Parts: sequence; C-alpha cells; structure tokens
Amino acid sequence: MESLLMNILGAVTTFLLAFAVGMTYGGLRRKIVARVQNRYGPPFYQNFIDAFKLYSKSTAIHHGAMHFLGPAFIMVSSVVSLMFIPVLTNNQWFPNLNFQGDLIFLIYIMVFGPLGMALGAGQTGNPNSAIGVTRGLSQMVGFEIPWVMALIALMVQYKTTSITGLLDIQVQSGHWFMFENPFAFSAAILASLGMFRYSPFDIVGAPTELASGPMSENGGKFLFVMMSSGSVFAFVKLTLIVDLFMGGASNLIILVIKTFLLYMIPVTYGIVSPRYRTEQSITYFWGWPLFFGLIAIIYAVFF
Amino acid sequence: MDIINIILVIFFAGALITAFAAKISSIVQDILFIGTILATSIIFFLNINTNTETIINLSHINLTLGLTPLSLYFAFIVFGLAVLAGFYAVGQMQGKKKKGYFYFNYLLSIAAMFGILVSKDLVSFFIFWEIMTWSSYLLVIYNGENVQKTGIKYFVLSAIGAYSMLMAIVIIHSLTGSFLISDLISGFNNMSANMQILIPVLLLTGFGVKAALMPLHIWAPDAYSNAPMSYTAIFSGALSKMGIYGMVIVFLTLITKLPQETLIRDIIAWLGAITAAISTLWAIKQDDAKRLLAYSSIGQLGYIVVGVAIGTPLAMLAGLFLAFMHGVFKSTLFMVVGAIEKQTGTSNLKEVTGLIRKMPWTFIAALISIIALAGIPPLGGFVGKWMLYESLITSNHYLLVTLVFFSSTAAFLYCYKFLFGFFLGQEEKEWSHVKEAPAIMVVPMLILSLISVVLGSFPQLILKPINSALSYYSLPDTYNNLWKESMIFNKWGDQVALTPIVYGVAIVFIVFAVFLFFKNRKTSRYVTTKDISTSGEVPKEHENLTFKENFFQPFLRAVEPAMKRQMDKYMLAFAKGLEDLFDFTRRIYNGNGQTYAIYAIIFVIILLLLSNNLFS
Amino acid sequence: MVGTPVLFIVIPLLAAFIIPLTGMVWKNSVRIIPGLVLSYMLALSVSLMWHITETGTVVEVIAGWKPPIGINLVFSPFSGFLATLMIFLGLLVWAYSYKFKRNVDSEPALKYFILLMLLVTGSVGIVLTGDIFNMFVFIEIVGISGYGLTSFYTRRDSAEAAFKYLFMGSIASTFLLLAIMIIYSQLGTLNIAEIADKMPMMSNKLKVISLIFFILAIGIEAEIFPLNGWAPDVYTQAPGPIGAAFAGIVVKSAIYASVRLVYTMFDLSGALDLFIVIGLITFIVAETTALRQERLKRMLAYSSIGQMGLVMVAFGIGTKEGIFAALFLIFNHAIIKSLLFFSGSYLVYNKKNKFIKHVNGMGKYLPITSILFTIGAFAIIGLPPFAGFWSKLAILTAAADSKMLMLIAIILTVSILEAVYYLRVINRIYFFPKKKSTEAKKPTLNALIVMISLGIIIMVIGFYPDLITGIIDRAATDLMDKTGYIKDILTINN
Repeated sequence: MESLLMNILGAVTTFLLAFAVGMTYGGLRRKIVARVQNRYGPPFYQNFIDAFKLYSKSTAIHHGAMHFLGPAFIMVSSVVSLMFIPVLTNNQWFPNLNFQGDLIFLIYIMVFGPLGMALGAGQTGNPNSAIGVTRGLSQMVGFEIPWVMALIALMVQYKTTSITGLLDIQVQSGHWFMFENPFAFSAAILASLGMFRYSPFDIVGAPTELASGPMSENGGKFLFVMMSSGSVFAFVKLTLIVDLFMGGASNLIILVIKTFLLYMIPVTYGIVSPRYRTEQSITYFWGWPLFFGLIAIIYAVFF
Repeated sequence: MDIINIILVIFFAGALITAFAAKISSIVQDILFIGTILATSIIFFLNINTNTETIINLSHINLTLGLTPLSLYFAFIVFGLAVLAGFYAVGQMQGKKKKGYFYFNYLLSIAAMFGILVSKDLVSFFIFWEIMTWSSYLLVIYNGENVQKTGIKYFVLSAIGAYSMLMAIVIIHSLTGSFLISDLISGFNNMSANMQILIPVLLLTGFGVKAALMPLHIWAPDAYSNAPMSYTAIFSGALSKMGIYGMVIVFLTLITKLPQETLIRDIIAWLGAITAAISTLWAIKQDDAKRLLAYSSIGQLGYIVVGVAIGTPLAMLAGLFLAFMHGVFKSTLFMVVGAIEKQTGTSNLKEVTGLIRKMPWTFIAALISIIALAGIPPLGGFVGKWMLYESLITSNHYLLVTLVFFSSTAAFLYCYKFLFGFFLGQEEKEWSHVKEAPAIMVVPMLILSLISVVLGSFPQLILKPINSALSYYSLPDTYNNLWKESMIFNKWGDQVALTPIVYGVAIVFIVFAVFLFFKNRKTSRYVTTKDISTSGEVPKEHENLTFKENFFQPFLRAVEPAMKRQMDKYMLAFAKGLEDLFDFTRRIYNGNGQTYAIYAIIFVIILLLLSNNLFS
Repeated sequence: MVGTPVLFIVIPLLAAFIIPLTGMVWKNSVRIIPGLVLSYMLALSVSLMWHITETGTVVEVIAGWKPPIGINLVFSPFSGFLATLMIFLGLLVWAYSYKFKRNVDSEPALKYFILLMLLVTGSVGIVLTGDIFNMFVFIEIVGISGYGLTSFYTRRDSAEAAFKYLFMGSIASTFLLLAIMIIYSQLGTLNIAEIADKMPMMSNKLKVISLIFFILAIGIEAEIFPLNGWAPDVYTQAPGPIGAAFAGIVVKSAIYASVRLVYTMFDLSGALDLFIVIGLITFIVAETTALRQERLKRMLAYSSIGQMGLVMVAFGIGTKEGIFAALFLIFNHAIIKSLLFFSGSYLVYNKKNKFIKHVNGMGKYLPITSILFTIGAFAIIGLPPFAGFWSKLAILTAAADSKMLMLIAIILTVSILEAVYYLRVINRIYFFPKKKSTEAKKPTLNALIVMISLGIIIMVIGFYPDLITGIIDRAATDLMDKTGYIKDILTINN
C-alpha cells in the first residue's frame, strides 16, 4: 500500500515537473522568437498565465462525446509516455513504469495522442480541423520513418530495445550514443524537427490559414488540457533524446541544460526557415533524414 | 460416426435445407441458418479432441480427417466468426432477395473451411479448398454487379492458386506414394533438390492467392468489396486465414529443411511487406469504405505473412496472433460498413457523414476496432504488432522492419479517413433520418470489439493455444521464454508488460475524461456542427462545410511515384492480350469444308514426314 | 443372361426395318419402339457386364465361322463398359427427346428416333466388333445416321453442316479402307486379334503408313485437331440432344477404335507419344477457341472436343493409371456433357441463333434447368465435390506418376480457360437481366426427369466415386492385357 502510494506520488511529481519544464520552454521559445523578429515579446512565464486563464474559463458549448474525449486521449499519450521514460539516470526518484515497456511501445503510445485528438477535432465538424488533421497525420508518416530508423540503429547496435537498457549502457561505458552512432543522432534530431511542429513544419496548425487547425474548436478547459499535454509532450521528447543519445542526466540541473540545448535546435531551425507545404515536408523527411537513418543502420550493423 | 463427420453432415444438410426453406417461410429459413451454425459450433466446442482420426476411403484414396492443435486454433477463428457474422447476416439479409442462395453458400464455405482445417491428407484438403473457392465465388458475385470482371478475376486467380497446389499434390503423391501430410513431411528429406524447391513454391503460390500476397492479390479489392458485407467479414476474417494456415504448415515443416531456407523466407517476407506497404497507400486513396477496408485487409495479411515467413518463435507468435486479431477487428469493420450501408444505402465515404450521434453503438465498435487495427496500445492489435517488430529486429531484418513500420504508420491515415468519413465531420441534413442498426447486427460487432479489448490486456488467452500449436510442429516452448501471463519478451529479454500499461492508460484516461466532463457537462450545451468558429461569419444552412474531397491529397502527392504502376492493370492487359490471341486461334475454324479437307491432307503429310522420328 | 452380344446388332437393325411399317399403322410406335429397343439393349448389356465379372470376356462368333475367319463380337470388361455407357446415354437421349417435335408430322421427325437408334447401334458395334472391316461398316452406319440427324432441321445451315460432315466422313472412309487394304494385303486377315498376333511380321514402313491412315480416318470421327472442323458446325446445327449423342456416343466409339489400334493391334512405341501430342494440341486449340465463342452449343462443342483431347492424352500416358483416368474421364464426360447439352438447349430454346447472350437472366425463369446447367459446368471444370474432379485428379496423378510435369502444368493452365468460359455463361444465367424478346421455354416432364437424374448421378459419383471406379478399374486392366485379348479370341471353341 505504501509503495503504491509512493508510486502515485512519484507519477504526479514527474507530471508536475514535466508540465513546469515544458511550459517554461514554451514561454522561452516565444520570447526568443520575438527577439529574433525584433519584437519585445511576452515574458517567459506567459504560458503559465495563459494556462491558468484557460483553466479558469468555463466551457459554454460542446460538439458531442468525442469532442470531450479527444483532449483526454492526447493527455493519455503524453502522460503514459512520460511514465515510461527514465527522467534521471538513477531511477530511484522517478521510477514510474520504466521497466514495463520498451522503445517500440513508446513509439506507438506517442502517436496515440495525435490520433485521439484527431477524433475530437473531427467531431467538431470544423473543416479546418479536419484539414489540419490530415496534414498532421501525413507529416507524421514523414518523420516517423527516419525516427524509427534511428531507434532501430540503436537497438541493433546495443542488442536491446529497452530505454533503460540503452541508458544504462551509456552510463556504464561513459560514451554517449550521439558520438557512437552520429548518423542515428542526426536522423533522430532531424525527425524531431517534425515532431515539434515548429516552423517550417507548422502547416498543421497554421493559425493564419487554418485557424489553428485541429484545435480550432477548442477553448477553455479543452485548450488547457491540450496545452498542458503539449508541454508535457515536449518534455517527453527532449528527455527521450537525452536518454537515448546524450547519456541521460544524473540530476535535474544537467537534465534542464541538456534538454534546453536540444530544444534550441528546432526553435532556431524554425526561426530561419519558411513554412513547408505538407508534401514538401514529407519529401524533406524522406531525403537526408532517411538517408542518415539508412547509414545509421548500416553503421550499426557493420561497425 | 465420428464427430467431424457429424459436423460436416450437419453443415451440408443444413445448407441444402436452408436453401430451399424459403418456400416455407423466411423466418424458418433464418432459424434454420442460425441453427445450423450454432449446432455445429456447439458440437465442435463441446467435443474438441485432437486425437481422433476418421478415415474415409474413396476411389483408392484414404481421406483422413482429424484435428491438430494448429487447426484447432484456426477453427476457433472460423467458428467464432461464423456464429457472430451469422447472426449479423440474419439482420443484414432482412428483406433481401436470394436469401437461400446466400445462406447456402455461407454455410458451405464455413463447412469447407472447417474441412480444410480437419484435413490430414492433401486430397481432402484440396477438395474442401475448392468447395471454399466456389462457394465464396458465388458470394462474391451475389450482388450481380461486375460479375464478369470481378467474379472471373477472383476465380481465375483462385484457380491459378488451386491448380498449382493440385500440381504439388500429385507430384507429392508420385514421390511419396501417399497423400498424407505427415508422409509428405517425413518423406521430404528424401526428395531431389529440384522437387524440394518446386513443391514448397507451388504450395506457397496456392496459399498466397488466398492470403492476397503480391502479385497474386489483384482479385482481393474487388472481391472483398463486391461480396455482401456479412460475408466479407468471414471472407477477410477467416477465409483469408486459410492461406495463412497453409503457409504456416509449409514454413514450419518444409522450408525449415531446405538449404535455401533463409532466401525463401526473405523473399516471402519481403513480398508480404511490399504488399502491406503498397496496399496501404492504395487504401488511403479509396473513397469507398468497402474498398478501403479491402486494401487494408491485404495490407494486414501482408504483416501476417511477414511474421509467418520469418518464422522465429516470436515471429510465428506474432503472425498467428495478428491472424486472430485481424479476424476480429477487420470483420467488425466490415460489419460496420454493412450496417451503415443498410441504414444509409451507400458505403461511400464522400457521401455519408456525421453518423456518430445517429449510430453510437456502431461507432463504438468501429472506434475500438480501428484502434486495434492501427495497433495502438492497449488493445490487442498492439500486442501483435509489438511481437512482429521485436521479432524482426532481433532476427536482423532492419529494412524489413522499417518498411513494415512505414505501412503501419501510413495505416493511421486510412483509419482516420474511415472514422472521420462515416461518423465525424458535419452532420448533414441528408442523413438526419438515419437510425441505429438493429440489435442483431450491433451486438455481434460489440462482442467482437470487446474481444479486441480483452486480448489487449490478456493476450495469454490466445498465446496459449498458439504455443501448443507451434509445439506440435516441434518449435520450442515459448511459455516463460517469450511470454508469461500478460508479459511478452523478445529474444534479448526486453519486455512489455501489458497489465500495468492497461491500468496506466485507463487511469490517466479516466482522470482526464472526468476532469473534462465534470461540470462542463452540465454547464455547456450541445451545438450542431454548423455552429463553429469561422472567423465571425455565420455559415448558412446550405453552405458546404464538409471536408471530403481529396482527403489525403498532400500525402498522396508525396507518394505518387510509388502508385504510378498498378499490378492489376498489367494483369488485365495481359489477360486481354491472351484473349485476343485466342480469338486468333478461333479463326482456324473458318467454316469452310475445303479448308478442313486441306487440314486433313496436311495432317497426313506432316505425320508421314515425321514418321521416322515418331516411330523410330 | 438375357442374351448374347449379337443381339446388340440384330435387334436394332431388325427394329429399324420394322418401325416404318408399324409407323403406318400406329404413329406413336415410331417413338416408342426405339425406346423399347434401347431399354432392352441396356438390360442386356448390364446383365452381360454382370455375367463377365464371373466368367470373363464373352466372345460371340457369328454364323458359326470361328475366328480368325469369321466375324466375332467381343464383350470384354473394357468394351462392355463403353457399350453400356453408350446405350445408357442413347436411352437418355431418347427419353429426353421423347416429346420432341411431337406435333410436327414432317419426315425428319419421323426418322429421328430410328436414326438415333442406328447411331447407338453403330457405335456399340464399333466397340464390340473384333474385325476391322466390320468396324468400317459400323463407322459407316454411324456416319450415315449422323448425317441424317445433322440435317434434321432441313435448313440451309443444317444442310451445310451435314454436307461438311459427309465430306469429311468420306475422306475418313477412303483412308480407312486404304489402311485396311494395306493390312489385309500384308497379313491376310481382318481379325483384330490375329492382326495383333501377326503384326511383328509386317514391315515397319507399311505399319507406319497404315497406322497414319487409321489415325487420320478415326481421328476425323474422334474430332482430333486439325480434323475436327466439321464438328462445331454439326453440334450447332443438329438438335440439342443429338449434340449430347455425338459427344457421348459417337466420339467415344472413335476413341475406342483408336485406342484399340494403338494398344492392341500395332506395336509401335511412338504411337502413345503421338497420342499425347495430338491430344494436347487438340485440348489447347479447342479450349482456347471455345473462350471467344458466341453460340452456346458451339462453345459446348469445343469444350467437348477439348475433353476428348484430354482423354487421348490420358490414354497416351500408357500406364494403367492413365487408362483408368481416361476411362473415368470418358464416363464423366459422357454424363456431364450430356447434361450440359440437354439443359443448355432449353436455356436458349426459343432463339434461332442460340447465342450465349440469350441465356441472360434465365436463372429466374428456368430455375431447375439453370441449376442443373451450373452443376454440369462445375463438374466439367473439375470442381469438387462433383464427379469431374475425380477424373481430373486421376489424370494428373497418372501424369505425375509418369513424371510428366510439363504435361500437368499445361493441362492445368488450359483448365483455367475452361473455367472462365463456363463461368461467364453461368454469370449470365443468374446475374444478367433477361431481354424482353427472349422467352423462356419450360422443359417437358421427360426432359426434366432425364436432366435431374443426370444431375443426381453427377452428385452421387462426386460424393462416392467408388460406385464406378471398380468397373473402370477392371476395364483398364482388360485393355492393358493384350495377350489375354488375343488368346480369348483365337482359342475360342464354341
């Protein structure tokens, strides 16, 4: 009973941590983008204010059951994938469900969210939502391929599919996989550009064109749940890459530094790139990223 | 009389009586139909025994019937689906013409599938295989649309498969002197190297047709979408598994003994993966739900073939698990389409829209099955997918796993298209009259989707029979080794534990669902789908807000090069060319007596000229 | 025992002489007496079949002249099996067409049953006789009654078809006589058994030439490629049941003759390979030609020719399994093709041209006939559980046992074509809308009974082939036993 309680407590703490970190990163991004564009920009804690505002709003209308469940689906995806990722190298702090699943499972649970939200967006009947969803799903097929190839390269190289297993190998040997298999790292980073859906891959929710796409019919608590899910999910992605390629983090400060540095890659790439059309972004992911993925697998098999 | 014979006799007698019961009354016919299926399945499930063997001697051939653990596993699929789709069929066939015709062929094809599974010799296997082929052929053309094209295509491809199988059978008989499958297995080592290649290749061609393996798949999209949906549920769910069943046996018993084992395995696995990828792309393009699901079936069967062809214990588990799951969720989806077609009169995704509030139960069944199809945890589909990926990675098939992963990711696209097209989106006035399908159709769908859910958390329920089936063909025991209760392991010892995952997902889902529902439910009010944010403009009643045209156009643009060529077209062109050629041979008979006389003279002259060579 | 084999010839010939006379007194006797004669012949042949299982082959000597000088009739398991089958079919054709053109008081209608009876008699004679010149006579009897039946409708087309048949038939007679002359000049005998006995004495060159002439002559009757040009016209123009009679009776007797030549009379090794080659070419050409036919009966005719090609292939394999398969196929083909001709002619009854498209939508109006046609088509394609499957399996097994893999592949590939054109017709019957101009004609009761009993036979053989395989097995053994045949005839003492 005691341990179960501890587990739940640990899970909630992890969630809060992820929420806080993700929100802060989001705010910082807004600030950085604004400064680059020579605007003043909102304060870095603006996201917290927005979230609080959204949370306190009451919802006036809804479009049916799936409209309610869509945000719940996407939250499941974020939280469950968070549960399966070792946050720190010594797992005592946030053990959660680390040993119960592996990378393949993680890949699948990570796509669970977008699909669930797509259902919610579908029921609203807003054509913009559906258009956004089709774009988002198409793009997802694009970036998942190099992403999976990068992961397969790691699994093959180290003969394990478990996240904790891969992390332990790095901790014990002291070598980071981003140097052991740089091609896999490149493929993964390029694929992660698509996962964050920042420019140039932001056609999914293009505000000027699609009225925020899938999210367009959501307000109040719906949007709050989506927003927090997005923040948690950003944390999940960053931590996962840190765990897989950068030897994890032994304490929270190192984790924050590593993840923030990683986070800057999509952010800065986005600032300097104009938006791609959907088919362009798909062909982008099936160009160099796919090639790196291929090289990564070959490297893993033969070296 | 043995139990297997009794079941077969009940089937055949039931089929005949049901066919002609229309003369008495329509309800009697329904009852007889359901009665036949129920009686046979109850007898079967109460008397499962893998030890008995019946021998019928016909025309100097011993037809040997008996169950093996593997056929028992497939018989579960067949009978389970037969019962559920049977009830569904009664609902769907209400008020339709040619009910006797449908019931007759339905029962006959179930009987034939059962016969295939209990056949321990190749002749009875072939007999039942052909009965299955023609009864399903008659159901494919049931609607009377495109019979000459679709029907003949199906039959010709089936005949190609069946005849290559028949060729293998007679060759086996000439080599071993027996038609028994067990004799084939024991005598396979003594055959010459050529025969050792030829026989598996011929057999795999035969099974590949029914398993819709490229390039023998071209019949499937048309045939699946042309048959009545209550039968397509069986067609795609159970009948295609007969091809898988045969493949499993060939791979487990024959291919393993070959020196070129890896090569054949790789070729078939790659064919399976390419089938999966290409047909997934085509499924995304379809606007008719039936064709979408048909292509999707081909793709799913591709995964199963990959698993079976790779053939490591985990891959076998994956293939057979997916076979079961595919039977469950794909037949549910076909039933969903059938229900929608019955209620709305069309199965076109572009026309029907916004049924979620009119047909909620159908939607739930569709949603669960789609999640299972997409392989998303925590439903049963994920378990199979996971095992498939892990088995491919641990057996060094890196590019294959990428291709398989690509097709299952792309599958999300058509999954969404299916759900969105029918149930979500704008609720148009045109469909405001639509009601939920009758209970006799909905309940089977819900039962099947419940199975998908249960298998997601308790995969051991069917991993156990799979394990005993594989042990029968002397594969190592996988219990404790690859799976234990609800935990599954790969070769490297990595695991996925399904029970905590299911609990985790359920808890998080419930927490947030309650969070969203709580209060909101009372305070917010439902608004129609016309009442949406459109930048301040109020959409008028007639304004078209339905997004249906060119649904995945950007994606299809990106993959256009892969879809330029279509096997179907090449094959049809080839068939057309052949027919024209035969039209030329027809001209030999020009109806002129003198010409015939000249033929006779030429015939004599040729024979005389060749006589030295002929009669040396 | 009801009688001796000679009655097979004497009774019908006598009846044929008497019927026109009784016909003047009692009109219906024209149709009834042939039926009675055929029934008697069936009873006779069945009882003889029963008899020979105990005593062995029955050899009948005519007019007290012992072989090799006299003419003899041989009722062995092999020839008896074929004779019984032919008579049975003849009786079915009679029963089927009993009410045929009842109200027409025309000349052809009066002669129809007599000619049918003679056709059966001639064919049975070919099978039973032990003398090649006698065989020639019977072939002529068959031919002449065949010409008469072909021109039954007294139309231009029928006359043309009959003339073509006559034309080819006379070529056949010429070459047959030439072949007989060569043999007689060399060996001084016409008795098959004695010819077989003395054959090694003949020079190889003459042997080959006479065999080729024989093959040409008999090949015309057996409808082998390229000598079968007359056949489709005849099948199309003759009345429907006569198509069945040709396919089931006449061709079978010609096949018998050719088999007797190759297996018993000649000792040339290459003859069997020639059988395979000719049979295969016939099979391929006929099936491919059938694919694009527009008339139903023509399609059935080509299908029939193709099946006969397959029978020749099976005989050409040369093993006992091959002969067994060939005889099984002959049996199946006889019943199935008759059913197809019978039901098919009702499906296109009221149309003059009998195009395939005229069957459109008949499934609704002629349900039983359509189902029977479907059963027949499925059976001839070789789908289990219908009768045709077992013979197909037998042929393929025989070919495989002789290591002829290419042969199996070709047979199976061509079989796909067969499935295609039959299924196209079935699809039309059930799924195409009926044109208003076509009228369905309900089959008469006697025709219906005949068709249903054929359908039942097909199903029963399909489920329980052992009913017939025992007899066929004995027949096959009998044909293989060449020395036994010679001994049976030449040492006869009665």
